[in-house]
Amino acid sequence: MSAASQEFLRKAIIKSADLDHRALIQKGMLSYDLAVAKGKLRFADWEAARNRCSAVKAEGIANLAKYLTEFEQRVIERGGHVHWAENAGQANEYVVNLARARNVKTVVKSKSMVTEEIHLASALEKIGITVWETDLGEFIVQLRNEPPYHIVTPAMHLSRRQIADLFRDKLGEDVKDADPVRLVAAARVALRRAFFSAEMGISGANFLVADSGMVAISTNEGNGRLTTSIPRIHVVVTGIEKVIPRLSDLAALWPVLATSGTGQPITTYSTLIRGPRAAGESDGPEEFHVVLVDNGRTELLANPETEEVLQCIRCGACLNICPIFRQVGGHTYGTTYPGPIGSIYTPRTAGLSEWGHLSYACSLCTACKGVCPVKIDLPKQLLITRRDFIATGNVKPAEHAGFAGFRWASADAGRFQMLGWVGRKALAVVRALGLSGTVLDPMRVWTKYRSPIALPKQSFREWWRKNGNK
Amino acid sequence: METSNSSARENILARIRKANARPRSAPAPEVPLDAIFPPIPDPRRRFLDECAGNMTEIFLSVGAAGSAEALETILATVPPGEIYVQDDPELLALVAALGPWRKARLSSEGAPAESTQASLTLAHAFVAQTGSILTSSACGGRGASIVPPCHIVFGRGHQILPDISSALARVQNKITGASYAGLITGSSRTADIEKILVQGAHGPRRLAVILEG
Repeated sequence: MSAASQEFLRKAIIKSADLDHRALIQKGMLSYDLAVAKGKLRFADWEAARNRCSAVKAEGIANLAKYLTEFEQRVIERGGHVHWAENAGQANEYVVNLARARNVKTVVKSKSMVTEEIHLASALEKIGITVWETDLGEFIVQLRNEPPYHIVTPAMHLSRRQIADLFRDKLGEDVKDADPVRLVAAARVALRRAFFSAEMGISGANFLVADSGMVAISTNEGNGRLTTSIPRIHVVVTGIEKVIPRLSDLAALWPVLATSGTGQPITTYSTLIRGPRAAGESDGPEEFHVVLVDNGRTELLANPETEEVLQCIRCGACLNICPIFRQVGGHTYGTTYPGPIGSIYTPRTAGLSEWGHLSYACSLCTACKGVCPVKIDLPKQLLITRRDFIATGNVKPAEHAGFAGFRWASADAGRFQMLGWVGRKALAVVRALGLSGTVLDPMRVWTKYRSPIALPKQSFREWWRKNGNK
Repeated sequence: METSNSSARENILARIRKANARPRSAPAPEVPLDAIFPPIPDPRRRFLDECAGNMTEIFLSVGAAGSAEALETILATVPPGEIYVQDDPELLALVAALGPWRKARLSSEGAPAESTQASLTLAHAFVAQTGSILTSSACGGRGASIVPPCHIVFGRGHQILPDISSALARVQNKITGASYAGLITGSSRTADIEKILVQGAHGPRRLAVILEG
C-alpha cells in the first residue's frame, strides 16, 4: 500500500465522521443541485448540448497538433509569446525566469488548476516574489496554507464563521456577524491593493481557440478580468488539451460549462484575449505569454483507451455528484484534481503505483458518467485504471490468495457446496462462542460498521431441492 | 521569453502527431445549435427578461435628452468622484449635460484610476439569449468595464442580437482589432462563501444599461 493510499484511508475515516463538514458539504451540494436543475431547463435538449460539446472537444484532441500550432501562430502574429513545457519544471522555470528578467515583485493570479498542478506559486515565492491568489475561494485557502478543496469552489469546506476568524487573524479585519457581504468587501479591499501593485498577472484558460488565436477565460468575480487588464505582463499557464477548433464552438461550450459548473446560463465574465494591448488601446498588458503545459497529458493521448480523458473542461460536475466525494471531501484525495476525474487523471499522470488506489474511491454507481458535459466515460476509465493498477503488480497478497481460492472453489460444484457448508458451520461456531468481531470472525470487516447478517440454515441448493418444484 | 525551447516544442508535438496519426472512426455528425437551445421569438423582450434575472439595471429612454436624464438618475446614487468615459462623441454629448460637480476622465487619456466611481461606455451589441453585453477593448479599454464599482453602458435597441452565436460571429468578423473582447452578464459576483451569492466581488457592483429607442 502506498503512503498516499494509507493517507487517503486515514483522512476518509476522519472526514466521513465529521458532522460539521458533512453539514457544510450537504448544504453546498444541495444549492448546486437546485441551480443546475434550474439551469438545464434553459436548454431545449441538454443531451444534444452534451453531444455537441463532446464532439467539439474530441475534434480538438484528435487534431491537437494542427489546432495547437494554428493557435500558436495566431498568438505570435498578434505580438504574443508561446512557450511549450514538457513538465512542471520547465513551465515554472519559464515563468520564474520571465518574472526575474522583468523585475517582478508582486504577482496576481486568477484561478488556474494547472498552476496548482505544477506548484507555480511556491516556485515564484522561492525567489522572493509575493503571489496573491485573487479568486475569493483561492484567496481564502491560500491564507490557510491549504490546497483548493474543489476545482470550482475552492473554499467549499469552510463556514463563514471560520472565514471571519481567518480574516481577523490574517488581515486584521474584524468582520461583523461573519456577514458574507462584509467578508467579500474585506477581501476586495485587500486584493485591490494587490491588483494595482502587481507587475505580472497569471491566469489559466478555459479554452484556447485555434481559428482566432484567443484565450477564453470564464470568471464570475471579475478577478480574471483584473488579472489580465491591470498588470503590465499577462502570462497564461494552461494545458495543451484546452484547444478547440473554432470561436463559434463557444456558443455551446460557454453555456454548458456554466450550467455544469454552477447552474448559471453563462459565466458573468466570458472573456476572450488575443494578445497584448494593441496600438491605440487605452490600457492592457504590454506583454502576453502563453505557456502550454504537457506534464503527462501526451501519455493520456498516446493510449487510445485514455485519450477521451483530455476532453475534460474542469466543470466539477463529477465531483459534485460523486457519493464518495460528498462523504470524504476534496482534501482527502491528496491530489490537485479530486473526485472521479482526479481519480483517473492522477494515477495516469503522476504514477499508477502511488495513486492507482484512487480508482477504488468509487462505488461504480456511474452517476458521474450521466452528468459529464463532454460525455467522458468516467466509470470505464476508473475500471481500466484498476485493471492497469493490478497489472503493474499492485495487488495485495491477501486479495490475490482470496481470489485464487475462490476460483478453485467455484470451479467445481461439489467443492463449492462443501466449502459453503464449512463456512456456515464455522461462522455458527464463532458466534456461539461469542467471538463475533474478533480476529477469528471472518465477517468482522462487514460487521464493523453494519449489523450482522442472520446465518442461513441451509444453502440455496438445499432450499431448491425442497422447494424448487413447487 | 527569449530563451529557446524548441526541443520541448518538438518533443511534445512529435508525441501528439504520433497519437493523432492513429486511424479513428468518423466524427459524429454535428448537432445543430437550434436542437440545443429553444428559439428566441422576441429578442428585445428576452433581453429585458434576462437582464432582470441577472440583476442588470435597465433604463429605457427616448431620445438624447431622455438618455442624459437616465444618466443623471444613475449617477445620483454614485458617490462623488471621477467618472471614466469612453472617448466617443455621442458619450461626450451625454456627459456634457452633467453638472460641473462631476469630473470626467476620457479613455484617450489612459487607463482608469482605481478610485474611479463609475464608467460610461458603448457596447458592440447586446445578447438576448443571456442578457449579456458584448464589449471589447475598443469600448474604452479593458479596465473601463471592470475597475469602477459601477459600469454604465449606453446603447440602442437595434443593437440587440438574438444569441451567443451571433455575438461570437461579430467578434470574429467585426471586432478583429481589439486585444480583448467579451460578454458581460450582470455585475461581478461570487458564491465562494457557503454558496451565498454576493454582488460586487472584484468588479462592478452595478451594471446599468441605458437603452435608447
